[in-house]
Amino acid sequence: MLAFVARRLAFAVVTVLVAVLISFLLVHASDTTPGAVRLGAGATAADIAAENARLGWDDPLWQQFGDYLAQLVRLDLGTSLIDGRDIEADLASRLPVTASIAVLATLLSGVVGVLLGVTAAVRGGRLGKAISTGSGIALSLPQFWVGVLLVYVLSLQAGLLPATGYVPFSTDPGRWLQSVALPVLALTIGGAAIVARTSAASMREVLGAEHIRTLRATGTPEWRIRYVHALRSAAVPVVAVLGIQFIALFGGSVIIENLFALPGLGQASQAAASSGDFPALVGVVVVATVVVVLVNLLLDLVTAALDPKVRAA
Amino acid sequence: MSAPQPLPDADLLTPDEPATEVAPPSRRRGVPAFLRRPGGALGAAWLVVVVLASLTAPLWVPYDVTAQDLGDRLSLPSADHLLGTDPLGRDLLSRIATAGSLPLLSSALMLVVAFGIGLPLALVAAERPGRTERLISRATEVLLALPATVLLLAVIGIVGNDIPLVMAVFGVLLSAAVYRVMLGVAQSVRQRLYVDAARVDGLGSVRVNVRHVLPAMGTVIAVQAAQLFGIGILVVAGLAFLGFGPGEPDPSWGFMINDASSHLFDGPWLLVPSGLVLALTVVAANELADALAARGGAGARRRSRRARTTTPAPAPSAVPAADPAPVPDDAVLAVRDLRVSVVDGPDLVTGVSLTVRRGTVLGLVGESGCGKSMTARSLLGLLPDGVEVSGGSISFQGTDLVGLAEGELRGYRGSRIALISQEPMVALDPAFSVATQLTGPIRRHRGVGRREARTIAAQLLRNVGIVDADRILGSYPHQLSGGMAQRVCIALALTGEPDLLVADEPTTALDVTVQAEILSLLRALVRDTGLSVVLVTHDLGVVADLCDDVAVMYAGEVVEAGATTAVLDEPRHPYTMALLGADPHVPDGEPVPERLASIAGTVPSPGTWPVGCRFAGRCLFATDECRTPFPAVPAHGGGLVRCVRVEDLALHRISWTPEEAGAEIAAVDVVPTEITAGGAR
Repeated sequence: MLAFVARRLAFAVVTVLVAVLISFLLVHASDTTPGAVRLGAGATAADIAAENARLGWDDPLWQQFGDYLAQLVRLDLGTSLIDGRDIEADLASRLPVTASIAVLATLLSGVVGVLLGVTAAVRGGRLGKAISTGSGIALSLPQFWVGVLLVYVLSLQAGLLPATGYVPFSTDPGRWLQSVALPVLALTIGGAAIVARTSAASMREVLGAEHIRTLRATGTPEWRIRYVHALRSAAVPVVAVLGIQFIALFGGSVIIENLFALPGLGQASQAAASSGDFPALVGVVVVATVVVVLVNLLLDLVTAALDPKVRAA
Repeated sequence: MSAPQPLPDADLLTPDEPATEVAPPSRRRGVPAFLRRPGGALGAAWLVVVVLASLTAPLWVPYDVTAQDLGDRLSLPSADHLLGTDPLGRDLLSRIATAGSLPLLSSALMLVVAFGIGLPLALVAAERPGRTERLISRATEVLLALPATVLLLAVIGIVGNDIPLVMAVFGVLLSAAVYRVMLGVAQSVRQRLYVDAARVDGLGSVRVNVRHVLPAMGTVIAVQAAQLFGIGILVVAGLAFLGFGPGEPDPSWGFMINDASSHLFDGPWLLVPSGLVLALTVVAANELADALAARGGAGARRRSRRARTTTPAPAPSAVPAADPAPVPDDAVLAVRDLRVSVVDGPDLVTGVSLTVRRGTVLGLVGESGCGKSMTARSLLGLLPDGVEVSGGSISFQGTDLVGLAEGELRGYRGSRIALISQEPMVALDPAFSVATQLTGPIRRHRGVGRREARTIAAQLLRNVGIVDADRILGSYPHQLSGGMAQRVCIALALTGEPDLLVADEPTTALDVTVQAEILSLLRALVRDTGLSVVLVTHDLGVVADLCDDVAVMYAGEVVEAGATTAVLDEPRHPYTMALLGADPHVPDGEPVPERLASIAGTVPSPGTWPVGCRFAGRCLFATDECRTPFPAVPAHGGGLVRCVRVEDLALHRISWTPEEAGAEIAAVDVVPTEITAGGAR
């Protein structure tokens, strides 16, 4: 078990390094320079060259990469080229926004999706068919379109929820919930559909398995067969899908944050991308990769807890 | 293509000459199977329309995409503007159609890059397992763990709004996902024998891949391509929604939705056309992928439906045994005239009557597909979905189990009737320890506490011959050997102290040495506990070894039954003789036969059973009288034999040896009257 965790941790470190390297190289492949971004359109070539030299842009590539890594180890992501703000402080204040939406949407997708999927598998018939058709369509709908539709229906027409804006949890938990409700809902529709599909397929397969027949033959009550035994075996692929969902929601939060005007990581990456703010861009990549890697780590542990075979390996 | 083709298999299924297997469904040439599913056909049609309309947009769109008409802003669909207009009075139909080519083409580019990298890597990795495969797999794992959307934004931040280039980079990231899926497929394809054969024939690696491996991967490639295409469209639209796409005044699907989101008050209609086209295109790609993936499954389903509708009505079961045999006093189980059928389909088992006396073992023997397992499973009410008991009675200790509600049956399962299955390795729940799986039923059946249940579980394991019961209790099923798993299964069956044990080929999946151990364990259990057993097997050696009575089944009915010694020493039915002749076991002291007899042909499948004797088609002694219904006759004391020629055959002391049989048949056929006369005299 310890070796297992160590292996996964080593892999996580390598992944973060690769992400940093890729974004670092991308930055240097660009034809603009940090000096030009920092000084804006009005700067002369000489000013820009001087600024680049000050920022260390002219140093050898490996030295710059080494410097950045050394900075990273001290948890220092540098400062913004645009307004000079401290990037790690900025991202630290944005992380909770993105994380709370991604976590809530993943949990809700999991609960709703598993309920629908298990119902489809256990009941079958017309209801099962309706669920599988419905989820097939729902998972293909563009999140931002669903989001705009939800704003129109729930916010403008029904007046139930605020359309945009974010209230921190610490300010007012009730209004925080209201402010994240629409984005979470928009993300959950597609997410729950994918989970429903996976859990229905997985549950159907398990319910047809030989060990389920053994349980029936020992007179085990049907609810116990379904919800203790079958669901536990069926949960392994569902957990994997939930993890992928979380990663996709976290990375894909940029669109939903833009739509609902939420001050999260996605918004920061959009701003950095459109302004050429290299340090901020690399910083977002680093934070996002670390989150993804941590979630993958957690997933491996959950899978190991569910599946004794993985545990032994 | 439109002319209905004659069904090629129609004449194979005439009632007097039953086909042994149902022919594959007729294929209408030219229509791929995936297009016969509504989702597949609609999805493909929509994609074709969108692609054609988008690529030819400059030729047909009614308005210039940038032509504004501020007097006609945000209008609803009309004759002038079929889909309405946007906030600047521009025609939506023209803008949507023109905007389509960018997402479609750049997603196609993305696919080319993703498969161009992922597929060759998968083929190479599948060809060189070991270091090369590990290296590529690790690299792609890292690629998969990168946050794709953020990286794409980083790319845009650096190269600008060059969408095709950005999608090509996305293709590089996706190649890791393509690799993963394709590696699995390529590995399994390479394991197929014909690929091995091609390699042994000296075909070069590239040619092996191109000729044999790639074609077999076609379906999976198509499914994944369709899915990824949908994702690509979504990503392009999402980027455009964020403003990373063709800038105003050029149209894009994503930005039109963004535009709509700021006009929800004054022009909500704006949200519909662009969003619907985008959504439908992605739905179409996914439906197409589903239809492609389901291709194999659809064919199989179609076949089974055909099998049901075109096969002749089930032959009226040969007149049931003269009169229902009386149930002896010491019978634990008495099955009478049992019929098991597919719901709305053919019979699987007909007219089966069995009696199991207390403390005895009844063997159910026959080839695969004779209905042994169906009969056994019906005793516990555990038939597969879509199969039901459609007639007869199963009297267990005086109660008829047929027609009992599921809840009432559950009261019998485990506590009165228990099951041991064929595949011990998959019969236990892989997610729970042996202890959990044993103590659950023990607590339920015996009403004891957790700790006592564990003591009982350990005792049960010792009773089935497990020495280190405590270690096994802590194990998980994947840690057990086959023989050990079967012992645990037997212990599990004993948790409820049942009166009847149904053992469905309990030793088939085990090694020969382990088989003997399990059989002697069963024998000891019967001797020591007074348990009754129904033992399903195709091994006559097991029957001789263990069973007091035996019922030989063929094509869904019992053809011969009686005390084991009587049936095996003096078989009366040609099928029993044939089974004995084909049995490789040689009793001590008897000469080894020069060659084993064989039975030509296969068991007719349900729904294709002939009228009269179902074995007639394979029987060396069959005559015309075998092809009309006839009753079973009593034999072997309390047993029966279902052969119309049983007297003739007995008279000629016929045995199942192909060489002799030819002569015997000739003799019997030539002088039928004399035989009857001789019998009468």
